[in-house]
This record gives sequence, C-alpha cells and structure tokens, in this order.
Amino acid sequence: MLNGRIFKRIYTNKTSLAGLVIIAFFFLIALLAPVLAPVQNANNPYQLPQKSYQITPRPPSAESWFGTTEQQYDLYYGVVWGTRLAFKIGLTVTFFAFLIGLFVGGTAAYFGGKVDETLMRLTDIVFAVPSLVLAMVIAAMLGPDIKNMMIALTAVAWPSYARLVRGDILSVKQRDYVTAARTLGARGPRVLLRHILPNSIYPSVVVASLDIGYVVLTAASLSFLGLGAQPGTADWGQLIAMARNWVLGTPGHPFAYWYTVVAPGGAIFLFVLGWNLLGDAFRDILDPRQA
Amino acid sequence: MTAPVEIKHLFKTYTRRRWFGKNAEKAVLKDVSLTLAEDHVLGLVGESGCGKSTLCKVLLGIEKATSGLVKADGKDIAFLSKSGFKKLRRVMQVVYQDPYSSLDPRMNVRQLLSEPLDIHGLEKDPAARKAFLAELLASVGLSETQLERYPHEFSGGQRQRICIARALALDPKILVADEPVSALDVSVQAQILNLLKEIKKARRLSMLFVTHDFAVARFLCDDIAVMYQGRIVERAPAEDLFTNPQHPYTEALLAAVPSADASRRADGNGAEEASEHPDRAGWPCPFAPRCRYAQAVCAKTPFELKEVFPRHACACCVMPFKTAKSKSAV
Repeated sequence: MLNGRIFKRIYTNKTSLAGLVIIAFFFLIALLAPVLAPVQNANNPYQLPQKSYQITPRPPSAESWFGTTEQQYDLYYGVVWGTRLAFKIGLTVTFFAFLIGLFVGGTAAYFGGKVDETLMRLTDIVFAVPSLVLAMVIAAMLGPDIKNMMIALTAVAWPSYARLVRGDILSVKQRDYVTAARTLGARGPRVLLRHILPNSIYPSVVVASLDIGYVVLTAASLSFLGLGAQPGTADWGQLIAMARNWVLGTPGHPFAYWYTVVAPGGAIFLFVLGWNLLGDAFRDILDPRQA
Repeated sequence: MTAPVEIKHLFKTYTRRRWFGKNAEKAVLKDVSLTLAEDHVLGLVGESGCGKSTLCKVLLGIEKATSGLVKADGKDIAFLSKSGFKKLRRVMQVVYQDPYSSLDPRMNVRQLLSEPLDIHGLEKDPAARKAFLAELLASVGLSETQLERYPHEFSGGQRQRICIARALALDPKILVADEPVSALDVSVQAQILNLLKEIKKARRLSMLFVTHDFAVARFLCDDIAVMYQGRIVERAPAEDLFTNPQHPYTEALLAAVPSADASRRADGNGAEEASEHPDRAGWPCPFAPRCRYAQAVCAKTPFELKEVFPRHACACCVMPFKTAKSKSAV
C-alpha cells in the first residue's frame, strides 16, 4: 500500500498538503523542543520556567518571545514543550482507544450472540453519557494528573472504535469475497487477516487520525477545568487556564492581555485543524477505488 | 464410476432464533435429489428465492444440510475432515454471481490469482508461478499485462473472467457456477457463456450451472432440473425439456422467455397470479396456488418426482397424462 501513489495524492490535493505541512511543522517543534527551548528544570522538562512571581502578564519581548502569562510563566517555552505533550497525549490516547475498540468490537463481531449483545450494550452505556462529562468524572475520581487525564480520555474514546470495527467486520464478513476465499480453501486466520481486517479497519484508521486532534482539544478542556495538567505545566490547556483572569482585558481595553491566549489558543487551533485535514487525506488515500 | 456430484433427499431449513417465543423456521430445500454426471453440464433453473443458491451453498459446505446426503467427488461432505474438505476444494470450485462483490477490492489480479495457489501450496517457484499465471490469464481471454491492476479497474465481464481464472487456478474437475452471467450486460453474457463452454470442453469439466434464464440454460446445459419453492419439479435432458415440457411450471417459464419469433409465442402461460387460489396453499404440490391445470386430485396426491419418459422426470400428477395423450395423438 505504501508507495509513491500516496504521496502523489497528498501533493495534488491542496488541503491535505496543508494538513501534512501543519502536522509536520508541529512534529518538528516537538522533536526539536530541547533545542528550541532549553530545559530549565532537568527533573521535569514540562515544568514552565518562572521569571518572577509578579502576577500581571507581560507582553512579548526579546527575552520571552510570546510574552509571559500570570505569575511570569514563559509562554514560548509552554507552547514548544506543550507541542510535545500534545503529541504524547493525542497519540497515546488514540492508540489505546483504538486498540481497546478493536478488541471489543472484534470480539463482539467474531463471537456474536450473547457476547455481542453484552459488549455492545456496555458500549452504548458509555456512549450515552456526554463524553466530556464522563471524562471529567473519571479524571476527578483519579485525581488531577496528566496520566489520569489520559486514562479518562481513553475511557471515553474507545466506544466509537468498538462500534465502528464491529459494524465493519459484520458487513465485510457477509461479502462475497470472504465466502469466495473460504471456498478456495482458506482457513479462519487467513480469511480474518487477509480479507476481513484489511477491508474493515481503514474506516477506524481514518477516524483515529481525526480523533488525535479531538483528543488534544478535550485534554485542553480538562486542563482548563483544572482536571488535567497542574498549574505551571507546559500544557496548552493549562496555559489557557492560567490566562483565565486576563482574557477579558481591562475596562476599556478588552485586548490588553491578548498574548496570554493567542499563542496557546493558536497552537491548539492549528494542531486540531491539521489533523482534521490530514484525516480527510487518509480517507481518500485508503480507499482503493481512488487510484 | 461415481458421479461428480450426487445429492439425495436433501433438506435445508433455516432457523431464526428469537429471544421470545418460538423459533421461526423456513424450509428452503425440500427433498432435493440430483445427480451431476461426469463431463456433463447440469442446469438448475428456477425463479429467485426458489433455493438454487442455497443448494450451491450446501454443496460447497458454506451451509450445513439439515438432512440428506451430499456427495461430491464420491465423498460425503458431511463427514469430511477439515483437511479432507481442503482437498475437495481443489476438485470442486465455484464462480459466483456478482463479479463486483466476489473479488477483494484491496487485492490486485496477481494477488487474487495467487491466493488459491498459496493456500494449497502450488507453483511455489517464482518462474513457474509467473508462467502459470500468464497461461491462466490467457485461457480466460485476459493478458499478463493486467496482473498489477485492481478489480475496480475492470468491467463486469472482465471481472467475471478473473473470477473464472481464479476458480480454474486449482485445476478443478467440478465447477459450480451460481448465476455467473445474471449480473452482466446481455452482450457480455454471450462472451462469458462462450468462454465457459470453451473451458468446459477443453478441461472436460463437470458443471453445475445455476440460472433463472432458460435461454442461457439451453445454450450450455446437457441436463436441466427445474426448481420451484425448494423442490425439483421437473428434470430432463435439455432438448427434451424445451421441446416437450411436462410440468405446468416449466411450461409457464418457457412461455415467459421472450421470443422474437411471433409464431412461437404461447397464448396462455400456465401460471396464474399467485393470489388466484390462496385456498390451495396447503396442497402437497407447491405450484398448485398458481397452476391452471390444478384439479381436486392434486389435493390428495402426495408430491413425487417420477419418471414419465426415459430420463425425464416430472412431479405433476395431472400433466404427464395430458401431454402423453396429446403426444400420441400427433
């Protein structure tokens, strides 16, 4: 599957090219974080350097390029290391949610009957609760911490994969080419690995690529609500949370402290947008009918 | 010499399990007996939903028979082990109805044709494999240059050629063709039928050919069995069946075949609307509610397929006498 055709498709489609460029850009930032923003606290690189303990944010200057937020935390450092954290959260959560969903959905579709009913009703129950609320409850129960936040996000993200995988496997199982493979003499594992999974997994891969952005967005919401990263962490949501008191500016000057939200907010916006564009590109690429 | 395919008193009932109440049962095949003779083409004709495809599925082991005997290549498939069945796959292959759905869209022609060889561990040497695939493609009228293409790049007729090549890759003795041309354009149908005829001759295949189209059956088949609601109602050598149909249902089907020749058009068609005689629904003969020859005797006579002429069997308790008389009068 991986050949020149895929890259050719990305290059010819302007929006998917934009998505690729944005994500590649962020990836470089995450990769080069120690170079772009040298670590101040060797024990925890995600700890924001603090210039002083003054409350009022300071605008961008030669010393701190994106300005400082409340209590003089450096925004530039936060955005750079926040990128690495965003990738970490987005990829880990999506990966595990995908794995759990694949397992649950695959088991349900493979065994059918009562197993299917039980697993799918369980999935429905998780689905029935608004995901942000459920994530908040789980994160609050486990305690505010990045790891716990990722557990909470995984717990609310897997049902959509389970449902998708189950439905796709069930529909592919009925296709003539699966029967045809069986009548050729193919046994269960071969049919599953060669025919059923390759034809049923791609919709989930597309959803996963779209989900990475969404997971980061939800993580930012949780951090903003104080249920994720702790104050002083280089996390985009946390940076916005620290700007909470300054978003409205001062009387008569609504944009007096614009820099406290523009840098982290812009980073989140671009990151999510990039994954969305790339997800569309994946959808086109993974469809064999589009050569 | 054992017949390639022998089916005796085959019953197939689908059961739908329900959470509450009784399980729903639907009998699809009722007491079907068929024999496919060596080097012959047996046509199985009948309208949609009469159980033709189910018969194929049972024969191919996709569905389990409820009761009855199914022998393929002299072996009772109900008692075959997994490896025994795998061996049988090499002897008996199948071409499906819809070439658009029976090819995996993520595999190119090379992968599609290599799969049966890989499964059975044949032609492992790359050079031999290459030559084999080229020859195989040529035998179905495709070219080696199309090996790297994907199914969606082909037309329906070409796809069906790929399906046929795939079935032939294992060099089977028996070919089950489940309506192989009904999903194709009429002009393409003729090409595929010619191809099947050619291949049948060249490889001395025994073929079970399922179709709902009498014109197609006439072109290809040596013997024909007519099926109605899960039962064989008439069985005869092809020409016999067309010149001298015995069962009212066969007569109705033949009359329904469009003909360009005005003189051959029948005025009546033997079948009436299904709603005409709902009171006859419980009769032993499944065709009674639509039959215009139905008489009181039909309500009492049990359903039985009996030989009325040599090699010509019919399951109507009224028709054979009528036709035999009119025939003797001519």
